[in-house]
Amino acid sequence: MHFLTHTLLLAQAAPDADAIAREIARLQHNYEFLSYGLMAAWIIMAIYVLMMVSREHKLKGEIARLRTMLEEKPRA
Amino acid sequence: MRNYILYGLGAAAALLIARDINVIAGLPREASQGAIFKIIFFHVPMAMTAMLCSFVALIGSVMFLLTKNFKYDALAVSVTEVGLAFLAANLVTGSIWGRVIWGIWWAWDARLTSALVCWLLYAGYLALRNAIEEPTQRATFAAVFSIFAFIDVPIVIFSIKWWRTQHPAPVFWGGGSIPGAWAAVAGWNWLAMVLLGTVLIAIRLRQEDSQREIDSLRRMAHAL
Repeated sequence: MHFLTHTLLLAQAAPDADAIAREIARLQHNYEFLSYGLMAAWIIMAIYVLMMVSREHKLKGEIARLRTMLEEKPRA
Repeated sequence: MRNYILYGLGAAAALLIARDINVIAGLPREASQGAIFKIIFFHVPMAMTAMLCSFVALIGSVMFLLTKNFKYDALAVSVTEVGLAFLAANLVTGSIWGRVIWGIWWAWDARLTSALVCWLLYAGYLALRNAIEEPTQRATFAAVFSIFAFIDVPIVIFSIKWWRTQHPAPVFWGGGSIPGAWAAVAGWNWLAMVLLGTVLIAIRLRQEDSQREIDSLRRMAHAL
């Protein structure tokens, strides 16, 4: 009788395997989405920086082209 | 000299972000939300940086209309573009947090909707600038539009106080119950975002200088 009471109490106190598995899955899901969030934020910033770099190249190219054109025009 | 200041600010921003990521990774999981709560340390500072950018854009736009000095127009467009990138990152991180905590990617509540409208308004500002060729007309129309767009900013900020929203009530610096050390981490990360934003704005301002140089070279080319 005493043994049975102890077993019942232990069963109530200790989480079953399913509960542990559910908690592990919840934690993994949480970390997975946290990493998605952080990646998404930095990818957006990186895309913006790349757009800036591309614009910088275009502007420099355009300035060089116009300067060359202006230097050649008076000679013509 | 300006280059060195820019490199220094960039290095400070990178170091601070690396330090913050390290500190945030070491924080314990929040009791009810778990690890996903840590996304707030980026979500909130990014929103605050975007709102700061929109305020600077307002000042730049008003100053342009008062003085007709193009350096204010350049400031307005630079901060708007950088703020738009921060707001996009804020919306995406918030949506990912919502998927875990609410079980949905998006809710059409006052905060989320007004933030999306804010993003669309400032994207419209950039589209308007691309649509107008003449620089003075472009700057004037854009300044008026920017002032109009700013009306949405207080709505975004105070929507969680004015209305009952799906979005949580203010957690940081708004009467929410959060440990002081966590609020300090968010504060440091905001400083990192502001530094990063300042570097990006400075680079963007330089590109506006180049654009003005192109405009003047084109005028010279037409005159010849």
